[in-house]
Amino acid sequence: MKHRTHIPFQLTAISAMVLITGSVVAQTEAPEAESPYAPLLVETRPLNTRWQTDYAGGVQLGAGYTSDDNYMFGQYNGLHESGTTVIGNLRWQDFSESESYWRASISDLGLDTREGELLWGRSDKLRIKLGFDSQIQVRNNTGETPFGGSDSALQLPTNWETGNTTSDFGQLEASLYRFDRELERDTLFAGVEAKLSDNWRIDSSLSYEEKQGTSDTAGAMYVDASAGDAAFLPMPIDYRTTEFDVGLIYGNGKLNMEGRLDYSDFDNKDDVLVWQNPYSSRYPDSAGGMGLAPDNDQLRGRITGQYIITPTARFQFDGSYGVANQDQDYLDYSINPAASIVEPLPRDSFDGEATTGTLNAKLWFRPLNKLDIEAFYKGRERDYDNPRDGYRYIRGDGLSQPREALTVYNTSHHFISQTTGLEATYRMPKRSRLTMEYAYENIERENTAVEETKEDRVTVGYRIQPTPEFTTRIEFLYGNRNASTYQWDQRYYALLDTQLINATPDNQRYINHPELSQYYMSNRVQERGKLDLGWLPTEHWNLIFNLLVQNDDYDKTYTGLRYAYWERYHFSASYNPSAEVSATFYGGFDQFDSELMGRSFRGGNEKNAFEIYPPLPQASDPSRDWRTDTSDESVTVGANLNWQPTDKLDLEADYSFVDTQSDQKFRSYGAADVSPENLPSIDTTLHHFVASGTWHMREDLSLKLDYQYYRYSSDDWALQGVQANTIDKVLTFGARNPNEKIHYVGVSAIYRWQ
Amino acid sequence: MIKTHVQVAFFLCCTLLAGIASGADEPGCLDCHTADADTPVHAVFSSAHGNLNGGGAATCTTCHGASEAHDRRGRRNPPDVSFGPKWQSDTNVQNASCLNCHEKTGGKMLWLGSEHEQENLVCADCHNSHAQRDPSLDKVLAGEQCVSCHTRQRAEMRLPSRHPIAEGKTACTDCHNPHGSATDAALHQVTLNDNCYSCHEEKRGPMLWEHEPVTEDCSTCHTPHGSVNDRLLTARGPTLCQGCHSAAFHPSVPYGGEGLPSGSSNQNLIGKNCMNCHSQVHGSNHPSGARLTR
Repeated sequence: MKHRTHIPFQLTAISAMVLITGSVVAQTEAPEAESPYAPLLVETRPLNTRWQTDYAGGVQLGAGYTSDDNYMFGQYNGLHESGTTVIGNLRWQDFSESESYWRASISDLGLDTREGELLWGRSDKLRIKLGFDSQIQVRNNTGETPFGGSDSALQLPTNWETGNTTSDFGQLEASLYRFDRELERDTLFAGVEAKLSDNWRIDSSLSYEEKQGTSDTAGAMYVDASAGDAAFLPMPIDYRTTEFDVGLIYGNGKLNMEGRLDYSDFDNKDDVLVWQNPYSSRYPDSAGGMGLAPDNDQLRGRITGQYIITPTARFQFDGSYGVANQDQDYLDYSINPAASIVEPLPRDSFDGEATTGTLNAKLWFRPLNKLDIEAFYKGRERDYDNPRDGYRYIRGDGLSQPREALTVYNTSHHFISQTTGLEATYRMPKRSRLTMEYAYENIERENTAVEETKEDRVTVGYRIQPTPEFTTRIEFLYGNRNASTYQWDQRYYALLDTQLINATPDNQRYINHPELSQYYMSNRVQERGKLDLGWLPTEHWNLIFNLLVQNDDYDKTYTGLRYAYWERYHFSASYNPSAEVSATFYGGFDQFDSELMGRSFRGGNEKNAFEIYPPLPQASDPSRDWRTDTSDESVTVGANLNWQPTDKLDLEADYSFVDTQSDQKFRSYGAADVSPENLPSIDTTLHHFVASGTWHMREDLSLKLDYQYYRYSSDDWALQGVQANTIDKVLTFGARNPNEKIHYVGVSAIYRWQ
Repeated sequence: MIKTHVQVAFFLCCTLLAGIASGADEPGCLDCHTADADTPVHAVFSSAHGNLNGGGAATCTTCHGASEAHDRRGRRNPPDVSFGPKWQSDTNVQNASCLNCHEKTGGKMLWLGSEHEQENLVCADCHNSHAQRDPSLDKVLAGEQCVSCHTRQRAEMRLPSRHPIAEGKTACTDCHNPHGSATDAALHQVTLNDNCYSCHEEKRGPMLWEHEPVTEDCSTCHTPHGSVNDRLLTARGPTLCQGCHSAAFHPSVPYGGEGLPSGSSNQNLIGKNCMNCHSQVHGSNHPSGARLTR
């Protein structure tokens, strides 16, 4: 871990002192003379909106051309295939009738990202909405696979030559074919809102969504507990989700409440992904079977509201109770027909249920004119109350069940978190305010290494607007989380059978090394500082600067994640000299560093983690420690220009540049066989230029020209030079790193009417 | 002489008519705010607000108040409720004008005390009710509006792994309620995980074999706005996994760059790293999935 100078913290601390001192000195001024605090906002759409918004309807038709197939440029925008696409957008509305109105819109008609909505309403009494939304996600499609077949049964070619390693697959080269990793998400929705009376409203919505396509996963056939013969697998996706909700809203000015009931049903048409084993580990009669996301449903009730006790006191609340069910029939222990099952499944289906209850409540009051107090409570409980059974599971679709002593048990993970706190805000001169908050969080977990964590968090914030053109905000947070005794053996006892536990020496009864504390529930000291500056140096300029630094120190942890550190600088400068011109320039630097410690050890006698006398077993030997320092950095720079040189012409240009770098450096502590080399840096670079020009040749007709240039490249070592058979025991897709240079041109006409 | 009488009579009639007109209930907003005025406001009559209280000038007074002083001497006296740019009513006055109707339309109930209310934002800072279509109701334009202040998110949503926010297929408001929420980060749903499950229902479970941090907090491993790492992960595998897993044999071994890309130890490093075998990281319902491999 690099040495931390904490300069950002020091800077923010100095700034805070200067500002608070200035504010205190300024106490002599009469606060009554001040105008109230007002945010310094940027007008992002300075162009006269007449062309965009002041017409009852408009239709845009045209054609676009994408220069090459891609998956980064078109990851979400539907422009992933080379060639011509239709540009089609429609907006039409009529609010001229006094009693009713309607609005229709369709966008991206020619793309897989099309969406549309039809809305009809009667004054504010009734509103009905129908619509659809299609989305597509494409991922790296340069990979190839020998697996074919339909639905969820993946087959190898009939002439497949098996082997112990991927290099033995004689027919691999001839069997590989490209496939698209694309997911389409199509949603139909309907909604209705109605005003029942001055105080009551009701609304309801119904949606049906299909998510289909091909994703990817990986599965392994196991020869023994630690050696898997793995293969990347195309994974068919065929999900359907139906959701319904109804809400009743009451408001009388003093008491506002909303009660809502929502139901969600998820249906996966595929239960299992079966793949033929390409390895000779159990060929020819073996196949792997992976359980896919099980069907589930959730019913939840929620009540949200606010009660205004007096003009200077109010109470807000939001509570919910939801029950998620999952009772999908179990798959067999193994898909292999030859698998020997001596002990059947303990039940036919899971019959699982998880209930989640939440309650968030806030009591706000103003005891003094300048002082606001807020007391709050946040609670969440997830009760995983399911049958606990023993499973003599077959590892990796092997041929037989293990001996009875190797039975494993599913475990309940009950979780409850409660946070209580108090926040006080005091307003001072120069439109400044000081905020202090104390929060205490208690989390209890069942069947985890840490049963209880308690965290104290103190936040101090100060905001000042010494002049109407300048605003500063500073915030510091200090959190101290204390975990109850780390029960490193708890997971071992929860998962395994007493026969195995009794047969294992005391000093080996653990899964994770006893020196490890899992960071999300271990002791932690957290410091965070934020500095936000806003300045309007002239009438036309707006400058923003944001700084955030955070340091998470897992101070009682020897192995595992020990430090995490974020440093983030962002700024933007906006220039709006007139209603016809707007320009924004922005940039940012983000850095994330972490330090991870490990100890390399084997099983058996080497797993004794408590020996203090030489010869030390591996698990007790600090010379077998290793450390990795990870650093992720990204630089973002961009600029945007909106310009209306004449009333008939709109021009827009946007450029963004993103450069990222990820590094992992290792350190070792003496053991000859624990000396990892640093991993190569991973760099990604993006240039994206978007420009458009719209010529309003007639009041009702415009021509639009769009252009985009997209350049993206990366050199991830996880893909660099990795062919399908590069790794002995992992049959990959052999996908390449993205290296895209894409041009897109679109020409369209916009016809509009009043 | 007759001509003079006619002129006087005409003058008196005009005066009488003017008096009648000025004494009518209808305020004279549209006398000055004509369709071709420098600051156009008439698009409001073609919007959802166009027929408030029967339309016409009554629409204006529904939001701006009766504004009698402004009606009499418009250039000197502001309307009772003014949203700028020339005159700005007090923040609470402006917002109350909108909340009179919209507080009960769902999602705005907790505006008081919300982050944006604490920042003295007024509805008109984001919304334009005088346009036929309010730009802030458009996903892309609304997103641009959000990131003009939220600069960190503007940078994150351009990172290699991200949600389709810049493409306008995921709106900021799909996850966040800018009008206030009782959940941290002003999320719509009651918890962060519920927010994620609203699109990723397949991960909701419950599962036979759960991965505890998954059910507790998606952000333990994922960052929502954008990441330098694939799948919006907070860190790369296998080190992400090794932050919590240090079991005997391969989970405890460091995976460095030696021998890349081939080499037997790299079977746990390249490709999908740990997930080359343990692919069911969000939980498994397979009876043989205790190790999240099935």
